[in-house]
Amino acid sequence: MADVRLVDIEKKYGNFLAVPQLNLTIEDGEFLVLLGPSGCGKTTTMRMIAGLEEITSGDIEIAGKRINDKPPKDRDIAMVFQNYGLYPHMTVRQNIDYPLKLRGVDRAARTRRVQETAEKVELEALLERRPSELSGGQRQRVALARAIVRTPSIFLMDEPLSNLDAKLRVTMRAELKHLHHELGVTTVYVTHDQMEAMTLASRIAIMREGRIVQLDTPKRIYSEPADLFVAGFIGSPSMNLIDGAIAGGVFTAPGVSFPVDQPDRDDVVLGIRPEDLEISTAPDAPVIGKLYALELTGESTLVTLRTGANSVCARGPADHEAEINAPCHFVPKPGARVHLFDRPSGHRLDGLSAKGQTL
Amino acid sequence: MKRHLAWWGERALLVLVSVIVLFPIAWMFLTAFKRPRDAYSLSLDFSPTLQNFVTVFADPWNLGDMVLNSVIVATVTVLIAVPCASLAAYSFSRFRVRGRKFLFFLILSTQFIPAVVIVLPFFLMFRTLGLLDTRLALIVVNLAIVTPFVIWMIKGFIDAIPTDSEEAAMIDGASRLRVIKDIVLPMAAPGILTSSIFCFILTWNEFLFALILTRRDAVTLPVGLVSFRTERGDLWELMSAAGVMITVPIFIMALLIQKHFTRGMTAGAVK
Ligand SMILES: Nc1ncnc2c1ncn2[C@@H]1O[C@H](COP(=O)(O)OP(=O)(O)OP(=O)(O)O)[C@@H](O)[C@H]1O
Ligand SMILES: [Mg+2]
Repeated sequence: MADVRLVDIEKKYGNFLAVPQLNLTIEDGEFLVLLGPSGCGKTTTMRMIAGLEEITSGDIEIAGKRINDKPPKDRDIAMVFQNYGLYPHMTVRQNIDYPLKLRGVDRAARTRRVQETAEKVELEALLERRPSELSGGQRQRVALARAIVRTPSIFLMDEPLSNLDAKLRVTMRAELKHLHHELGVTTVYVTHDQMEAMTLASRIAIMREGRIVQLDTPKRIYSEPADLFVAGFIGSPSMNLIDGAIAGGVFTAPGVSFPVDQPDRDDVVLGIRPEDLEISTAPDAPVIGKLYALELTGESTLVTLRTGANSVCARGPADHEAEINAPCHFVPKPGARVHLFDRPSGHRLDGLSAKGQTL
Repeated sequence: MKRHLAWWGERALLVLVSVIVLFPIAWMFLTAFKRPRDAYSLSLDFSPTLQNFVTVFADPWNLGDMVLNSVIVATVTVLIAVPCASLAAYSFSRFRVRGRKFLFFLILSTQFIPAVVIVLPFFLMFRTLGLLDTRLALIVVNLAIVTPFVIWMIKGFIDAIPTDSEEAAMIDGASRLRVIKDIVLPMAAPGILTSSIFCFILTWNEFLFALILTRRDAVTLPVGLVSFRTERGDLWELMSAAGVMITVPIFIMALLIQKHFTRGMTAGAVK
């Protein structure tokens, strides 16, 4: 078990600054999820922790010890690679067995643990195959099995479930959650799947262009996004973001007017999540426009209206029906959160504590 | 119809080239089984004999000694050159050291020097060391010729192996040497085998240095061929028999290379 501290970590590829001055502490036993768009430096950060990528400057500490110069094998890490990194000349069994073999585990224990792990990831029927004879999802499970077959002090997982079908992904997610609960191993986990991030993480670090934009619990990331980027990135469908201005305690944009307790100013973005809006017939509703689209998702209907240049989406009941282009009104649900951001900087407006405003 | 013509043209050309290339070889094989009086005749109507092979292995030709020399020189050269070259190739392929490109160029540039230029210095060197007419001298020279080439060749194979599996192994707890042994070598095996055979062929066929540096004890097969040019004339049937002895192992090895060349060992490692 160990905590990981990244102090002013910097990574340059030639002249390209992939990760500038990153500071991050991952607590002992924490499940930290790195979330961010493609190319933002998630893999690079992981590889630096693993010791596969030399850091240009800064320090990495594991369990209080500076390990900048330690080779990967001495860092007691297990990793799932984004592109698997399997051993093509070994069978699935040998692949999973290899880390145990290297660490001198005796044969009987190895056989047992390989079998157990293979069962966890549903690979027991494929143990004698080679990676080239497996599907993408099966390969990914081999990579996962090879990482979890032993108990390291840190798990690094780079999109370990990205290639699995929806059902298996949910099963594996639960498996990983259980594993983390059982072993309590510090875990750094990269994913593009918000649901995975939300359900697994103790904390989520949202990254953008090599920087951490917000580091918080899933709940707070969702309810109090620190800036426009996070607000737009988290949530599906994403938060409605409407450009407007505040005057006399009211936020106004074409077809939109929300009372807010903020001083007057221009260049404001109001954010409200689709699940915080409901369809209404009230003539004085804060959002008024024409129905643009109806999308049934199964448990609900996504209702999009247009007003001026803005589209606003609300999550309505599954049985909601209406004519396209008919007038459409949204009101915030009781307890709904309205978020305000400064357009030029993107920052949250309601102070340093970044508290969402409740209506 | 046109495509038909092109197809036939292509076949015809292939056959023509094959005939041109294979004719001397076929001629040699035939001659090896001819009696001396048939050696100069063009006729395919002759009674084959194995007498030539018996003769070349007997006194005074003693081809057996030359076969042994050739086998030892080529084998030892391969056994030293390939492991060294593999490690060097791995380093050149994987480590980003300053001056790496220049160093690699330097090693390759040894290949640009014509052999005739350095054969005399080598001769003087070995004379001083008292190593003239020894297998050791031939092995040393062949190593110098062959190693840069093999480094270059194996580097190509290692470059083509994705680094992901190696990195995975390092995280799983393997040291660099262990990674090479467990991951790189098995994955590069077809390439290394191919390079070994290439290296063997180069050494086996090496003529100039063997001619200058040997006299009696360490004579190799290619040089041995020359001894069939006697004052009694060229003994074509014996020379051909010896030629067959030189060629057959190379044929077999070329076939082996082909088999391994087509085997994709890296399939399935990464996405
Ligand atoms: N070896 C390299 N040389 C140069 N640039 C690199 C190298 N590896 C990564 N980069 C760059 O560094 C940045 C971060 O890459 P990284 O692989 O960490 O992204 P990522 O967040 O993992 O993206 P994805 O979600 O697509 O996997 C990218 O802009 C990438 O182009
Ligand atoms: Mg990545």
